[in-house]
Amino acid sequence: MIEAKQPDFDAIVIGSGMSGGWAAKELCERGLKVLVLERGKDIQHGMDYLGEHAGDWKLPYQGKKPRAEYEEEYAIQQACYAMGEGTRHVFNNDKENPYHYDAKHPFEWLRADAVGGRSLLWGRQVYRWSDVDFQANSRDGYGIPWPIGYEDVASWYTHVEKHIGVSGEALGLPELPDSEFLPPMELFALEKTIKGRLAKKASDVKYTIGRVAVLTQEHKGRAACHYCGPCHKGCSTGSYFSSQSSTLPAARATGNLTLLPNSVVERLEFDPVTGHISEVHVINSRNMERKHFSARLFFLCASTVGSTQIMLNSRSETFPDGLANSSGTLGTHLMDHVYGVGRAGIYLDNMNSYYHGNRPTGGYIPRFRNLPWNKEHNDYLRGFNYQTQCMRTDWRLTMNSKGFGADLKNSLRKPGYWVWATAGFGECLPRASNRMYLHHSKVDRFGIPQVGFEFNWHQNEHALVKAMNSEADRLHKAAGAIFTLSLGDEAAPPGRAIHEMGTARMGDDPTNSVLNSRNQAHDVANLFVTDGSCMTSASCVNPSLTYMALTARAVDYAVTLLTEGQL
Amino acid sequence: MNRRQFLECSSIFFCGLTASQLGVSLTAEQRVHLTTADNYLNRDVSFFDSQQRSDIVAIADAIIPRTETPGAVDARVPRYVELMVSNWLTDPERKLFMAGLDQLQQRSRQRGDSFSELGITEQLALLEQLESEAGDHSWYDFGNIRREYLSDAPFICQIKELTVWGFFSSEVGATQVLRYKHMPMYFDGDVPLDSQESAWYSGAIE
Repeated sequence: MIEAKQPDFDAIVIGSGMSGGWAAKELCERGLKVLVLERGKDIQHGMDYLGEHAGDWKLPYQGKKPRAEYEEEYAIQQACYAMGEGTRHVFNNDKENPYHYDAKHPFEWLRADAVGGRSLLWGRQVYRWSDVDFQANSRDGYGIPWPIGYEDVASWYTHVEKHIGVSGEALGLPELPDSEFLPPMELFALEKTIKGRLAKKASDVKYTIGRVAVLTQEHKGRAACHYCGPCHKGCSTGSYFSSQSSTLPAARATGNLTLLPNSVVERLEFDPVTGHISEVHVINSRNMERKHFSARLFFLCASTVGSTQIMLNSRSETFPDGLANSSGTLGTHLMDHVYGVGRAGIYLDNMNSYYHGNRPTGGYIPRFRNLPWNKEHNDYLRGFNYQTQCMRTDWRLTMNSKGFGADLKNSLRKPGYWVWATAGFGECLPRASNRMYLHHSKVDRFGIPQVGFEFNWHQNEHALVKAMNSEADRLHKAAGAIFTLSLGDEAAPPGRAIHEMGTARMGDDPTNSVLNSRNQAHDVANLFVTDGSCMTSASCVNPSLTYMALTARAVDYAVTLLTEGQL
Repeated sequence: MNRRQFLECSSIFFCGLTASQLGVSLTAEQRVHLTTADNYLNRDVSFFDSQQRSDIVAIADAIIPRTETPGAVDARVPRYVELMVSNWLTDPERKLFMAGLDQLQQRSRQRGDSFSELGITEQLALLEQLESEAGDHSWYDFGNIRREYLSDAPFICQIKELTVWGFFSSEVGATQVLRYKHMPMYFDGDVPLDSQESAWYSGAIE
């Protein structure tokens, strides 16, 4: 009698960010022994947020960025708003870990390189998708139909929200379902003025506080926000959700978690006899040592591009074009939000009103165009929302004033105008030609083929850009701006919104999709992919909450299969 | 390898480099908590000669003088300028800066003394002359807060940017001239503003 070899772990999760943290927590809490592999460095919650609460006078150059060094080592990452001397240790070093950047198809791959991943750096905006989003592909025929609808995910949104803590205001909108909310943050006086004017002069839009994974009261042992401002510099009090502050500690508390940083996954080993993944091949980024670990269940949560890179690099006789790629669609239908456009308006209202504390969210105008029940006829498909920022200008805007002496000093030290900015986030259509691939001759320092991108905005995205700007003009006029500035007249390079999605999409048909309705690979029963790569369309709302909900839902299904002996 | 063997060896295999947990790409200096770091202004620099140093002090003082609150010299802005010119400007920007400073020094001598020894009226006249010559350079465009540093900005714009930035992002400028709380503890979006009150310091990097 042959004794079956026991796997090293019950489940292996690749990636420790937004999705990986959730996979780890849920799997550990179901009693599985879990190994989390993270390619980035080991940073400790509360200990290694090097920039937290540091005044700019502590920073090299007092906050001016080291230009030559960033150009040399962070050529891509420096485009990210959160990249600075207080956060660089969380970001990927582009020189050490490059990808094939093609200036003709400039796709910006913004990535973290630390335990916690981009959950440490994210904008913390959380919005549920609705059936307007899940039915978008089947309605207009772009992309393939989603294999799930809102009702499949709703209870998982609730499950996630109750754990992470989401502050916001319930609106009862079918196009933007409400979350389980903690009390919302307040509006600025100017926002209240603007909200009142919009209600009268642009009543087709709603204005609400941004829904944000920042605590307005103590929640599950994490403290309420102390309103210091730059969340991306890290939060020792765990007041914004990150896997470091929330899901990884929950996973660790079970005693079932093993987490290995500096562990670059080279590929997954497919066993043609069992039809399952048997092992993961890992390279230690510090000493280049190679190891392999076995498990019954594998969760790929390495981010959209990271996960698909691993699958594309996991070639075998069964899967010569990449793991679980019998459909040939792996790497295709890459999406990102149409971003970088909108308007900033200057307002002379509420000049005698100021503020206390730095509110870690802006305002939000939910999608109001092309909603199916409005029967509109626009020259574009899908829609967009605006994320807004309300701020009082200061010396940073007017430091280039003419003049000298006490008068200059006095004018620079005082608050200036109010600015209300509306930044559009538009829904990108899924297209086969927008894709990522492995470069055939360029490898990284681990010998792993580098990722390359082919991506172009098309006619619909250009039309969305125009609409986002013309509607913003209309809204600022209705809101009473005395003057508006453009945030951009063309979409930012793809990737800049840091909402990259697709490349291993879900679908009911195994001939045109990689994953089924449970994020399980059609071709490989013990492989689940639950980060942004699973997305079949892009919606216009921020995607992280949906990744977390889909991850928890996929774990529930996978553990059921495992318990029933089906894996 | 089974799970128990793995756990036994993993601490050696994966955690052997505790002294540099934060990665090969960071220097020792970049691995410290910035709140405990020395202020940037305490770094060593020796780039200007003594006359240049005196003139930079006089220029910074003319741009942001001490009033009822500290001025640029109190906030050690001249040192910031020297550090930035020495370490942060590119070679062409540094040449532009030094040529501009040289020209200002020549014009001062034509008026009979070094810039630092001239009276404030004459100093301001010279600076205003430079500003008028810089005319409508794009550096003065309204609202270009989010721009990169403009490499072709004339000397007067360079020195003004370094002075204003260095002043308000210094500890003295941010906490004694502007207002600063590193943990405000609550948010209130509607607080009465006195017309003489300073803005909050809200960071050079957003």
